[in-house]
Amino acid sequence: MVQDQREQQAISQIVVFQMDNEYYGADIAVVREVVPLQRVTYVPRTPEYVLGVINLRGRVIPVIDLRRRLGLPAGAVTKATRIAIGEVDGDQVGMVVDSVEEVARVPADAVEPPSSLLSQLDREHVLGVAKVGDRLITLLDLRQILMREERKTAVAQ
Amino acid sequence: MGSGFDITAEDIRVFLDEAEELLQAMEAGILRLESEASDPDPEVIQDIFRAAHTLKGSSATLGHQSMAELTHAMENVLDRLRKGKVSVTTPLVDTLFRCLDVLKIFKDEIATGEPAAVNTDEVMRELAALEGTADSAEPAAPAPAGGDVALPALTPEQQAKLEQAQARGLKAYQAQVALSPEAAMPAVRAFQALLAVADIGQIVLSVPTQEEVENDQVGADLKLLFVTGESVEKVHEVLREVPEIAIQVLAPYQPSLPAATPGPAEEVAAAAMAPPASGAAQAATGAPQPAPGAAPPAESNSGGPVRTTRSGLRTVRVDVEVLDNLMNTVGELVIERTRLQQVLSRLEVEREGDELSQVMSSALAQLGRLTGNLQEEIQRARMLPVENLFRKFPRMIRDIAHKAGKEINFIVRGEETELDRSVIEEIGDPLMHLLRNAVDHGIESAEERLAAGKPAAGTVILEAFHEENHIIISVRDDGRGVDPEKIRASAVRKGIISEEAARRLSDPEAVNLIWAPGFSTKQEVSEVSGRGVGLDVVQKNIERINGSVEIRSTVGQGTEFRVKLPLTLAIIRALQVELVGTTYCIPLGSVVETDRIPTSEIQTVRQREVIVKRGEVIPLLRLAEAFGLQRPEGYEEPEEIFVVIVAVMGRQIGLVVDSLIGEGDVVIKPLGRFIGEIPGISGATIMGDGDVAIILDVSSLVDSVQGEAGRLETVAQ
Repeated sequence: MVQDQREQQAISQIVVFQMDNEYYGADIAVVREVVPLQRVTYVPRTPEYVLGVINLRGRVIPVIDLRRRLGLPAGAVTKATRIAIGEVDGDQVGMVVDSVEEVARVPADAVEPPSSLLSQLDREHVLGVAKVGDRLITLLDLRQILMREERKTAVAQ
Repeated sequence: MGSGFDITAEDIRVFLDEAEELLQAMEAGILRLESEASDPDPEVIQDIFRAAHTLKGSSATLGHQSMAELTHAMENVLDRLRKGKVSVTTPLVDTLFRCLDVLKIFKDEIATGEPAAVNTDEVMRELAALEGTADSAEPAAPAPAGGDVALPALTPEQQAKLEQAQARGLKAYQAQVALSPEAAMPAVRAFQALLAVADIGQIVLSVPTQEEVENDQVGADLKLLFVTGESVEKVHEVLREVPEIAIQVLAPYQPSLPAATPGPAEEVAAAAMAPPASGAAQAATGAPQPAPGAAPPAESNSGGPVRTTRSGLRTVRVDVEVLDNLMNTVGELVIERTRLQQVLSRLEVEREGDELSQVMSSALAQLGRLTGNLQEEIQRARMLPVENLFRKFPRMIRDIAHKAGKEINFIVRGEETELDRSVIEEIGDPLMHLLRNAVDHGIESAEERLAAGKPAAGTVILEAFHEENHIIISVRDDGRGVDPEKIRASAVRKGIISEEAARRLSDPEAVNLIWAPGFSTKQEVSEVSGRGVGLDVVQKNIERINGSVEIRSTVGQGTEFRVKLPLTLAIIRALQVELVGTTYCIPLGSVVETDRIPTSEIQTVRQREVIVKRGEVIPLLRLAEAFGLQRPEGYEEPEEIFVVIVAVMGRQIGLVVDSLIGEGDVVIKPLGRFIGEIPGISGATIMGDGDVAIILDVSSLVDSVQGEAGRLETVAQ
C-alpha cells in the first residue's frame, strides 16, 4: 500500500546532502531550510538518535542525528556539518547531516525502486535511488523517518 | 455552491462563527423545550425561531439552498408552535434535533467546501407532517419584525418633536433596514427609504442622518425613529417598495412612559412577523420591554434590555491567531527582560552599583511592571467563559442517556467561570469522556437505582469554579460509586498489578488504579464509553496542560472527578537549577523549599535515599542519575548537596541538583510531537541567552518516587 504511493510520487526537486561519503536526497517540499550547527540542549530519556532540542527563531525544535537514525556509523562534526530542518504534518524536526551539497532536479524516470539496496539501510526509510549525473543519490522518505510514532515505547530505559 | 454574490473567505468565516452560535442557541432552546414540554416558555420558542430565521437569511445569502429551505421549514413548524397550534411532543423534539444535526452537516459543508451527501427529504417530510397543512406556509418574502433598534440617545429637540407628535395621536416606530451589500448605490437606496418614510410621516431620528446619506456616508444599514398616523402594515408596504433593502426591524417605539404601551392589534401584528435577520438588533418579540418609570426615552434605549444591543461598538472580533501571536510576543518580551536582568546583575557586580546601573535597575523594574500588566491584559483577552464549552454537553448527555436507556438529570453550574482559550480547547475531550463515563458507568439502571432506594433518574452535575489560583471543573454523579475491591480484582485479572501488590494498596490507592493504562471497569466495552480511549488518556491530556485530575468516590453514593486547571498555560514562574552543566527549570508552584544538606545526613530506607526534615521523611531523587546524565571523568561528589523539595498533592520528594541558579518567568514551549511525552519532563523554554532549557514535570517525578499505584512501573527511575 505504502509502496504504491511511493512509486507514484514524482519527485522533481531534491535537496542533496552527504553522510558517510554517500549522497542522500530529500524532497525539497519536506526540507524547509538548512541551518548551521548550533548548541543543542540534551533532552533526557529520549532515544539515542535524538540529540536534543534547538532554538530556531523562538521555536523549540527537536534535532536528530540522521546517521544514527539510519543506522550509519557515527561521524565527526566538521565545519560543513549542517542541520536540515524537515517539516512533516506541521511538525519541524532538525536532522544533522555531514554536509549539504545542492538542490537537484530529478526526473521521475531516473529513480530506481529501492529493491537492490545497501543492506545496512532500513528499507522503510528509502523511496528509491536516483542517478543524477554520475552521482547515485539515495532518496530518503522523510515522512517515514520523521513520523511521530507512539514515542512512549522509544523512551529510554 | 452557486451564488450571485461575491463570497469571500471572510464572509464564510463570519457566517461560520454566527452559525455556530445560532446552532448552539437552537440546541439549548430545544433541550429546554423538551424539559418543559407541558408548559413551554414562549420566549424559548421565540429564541429557537429567531435562530432558525437568522440562519435562513445568512445561508440564503451564501447561496446554500438546502440549508435555507430546511430552516424555512423549521420556521413554519416553530411558528405553529409559537401560536399554540401544535404542542411540544417527543416526535417534534426529535425532529427538531434531527434538523439540527443536518444543519451541522451543512455548516461543516460550508466550512470544508466539500459537499456532504446528506438527504434532507426525510426531515423535510417530518417537518411537513408536523406542520400539517403545508399550504399555510408564510410568504417567502422577508417579513419585517418586532424588536429594538440600537438608536442613539435623543437630543432634547428630538425628544420634544417625538412628544408633540405623540400628543397629536401619531404613533412612534423604530425601524432598521439593511442595505444590500451588492447594491451599487447604497446611499441612494437609503435616501429612498428616508423619502418613503417621510412621505407618510415625520422622521425624528435616523442613523446615518439625512445629511450623511446625501454625502454618501452610509454603512450596512439604516436605523430610523419616526412618527406616523399610518399602521405598521402600511409602513412596511411603503418600505418594501424600495429596492435593495431588507427590513430587519419594524416595531412600535417604546418610550419610557408605561401608558404608551401599544394597542393589542399592533402587538399581534409585530409578533406575527418574523424577527430580524441580523444579530445587530435582536428582536424581543413584539412584547414591550418593561421600562424604568420616569426615565427619559433616551435612557430606556441606551441602557435598555441587555439582549437587544450587542454593544457592537464596544467589542471587536479578533482572530484567535492574533491573540496567540500577541501572547507569543509577550513571551519573547519576558525573555528579553530576563536577559536584561542578567546584564544588570553583572553590571551591579562589576560596577558596584554606580549611577548607570541604578538607572538601569529602576528602568528595568518599570519595564517589569509594564510587561507584567501587558501579560495580564492579554491573558484576560484570552479568557472565555466555560459556557462556550459546556453548551454542547446537555445534548450529548441526552443522546447517551437515551442510548443507554437511562434517565439523567443533568445540571450545569458555573458556566460563567472563565478559562484561557487554549485550556478550554484542550479540556473539551477529557470532560466529554468523564461525562460519558459518569452516564455510562457511574449511573445505574433505573431498576438498580430503585432497588437501592434512589430516585430512578440519575443526577450528573458539571460544575466549574475558582479555587485559589486554579479552576476546578467537577463531574459528579450519584451513581454506584467505584468499589475498591472490584478494582483490585479487575486490575489483577488484567495483569496491571500483582495480587500481592493489590492487597497492599489502601482503598483510595486501589481506586486510583482506574488511571492505569488499559483499565476499564466494565466487562464489555460499551458503545458509548468504549472507543478504545481509557481514563489514562484523559489523565494524560489533562496533565499535558499542567492540570491534574482526582477521583473521589463512595460506594453506593456516587463518584466525583475533580479536574484542576491552571488559569493560563503559557507563562510560569520557575526555579532554575543546574544539572551536569545544563540548566533545568522547576515550576515554582510545586517547590516547597530549597536546602543545602551535608551528604552525611542522607539516610537510606529500603534502598532509597531519604532525608529527615522536621520529623518528616523525604525521599530523594538524584535527577542527574534518574535522567542518565553522564558525569565528566573524575567527578567527585561534593560534601554538600542541593535539594529542591517539591510537593504534589501533599506528597513530598527532594530533587538533588548540582546547584541553584535563580528564578524567573519562563514561557512554556512544547517539545513537539516528534519527541512526544517523556516522564519527568513537561516542555522546554528559551532562556535569556537563547539556549533552550528543559522544564521538569514535578508530578510525574513525584509519582516515580512515591509510587502512586498504577503508575509505579511506567516511570523509569
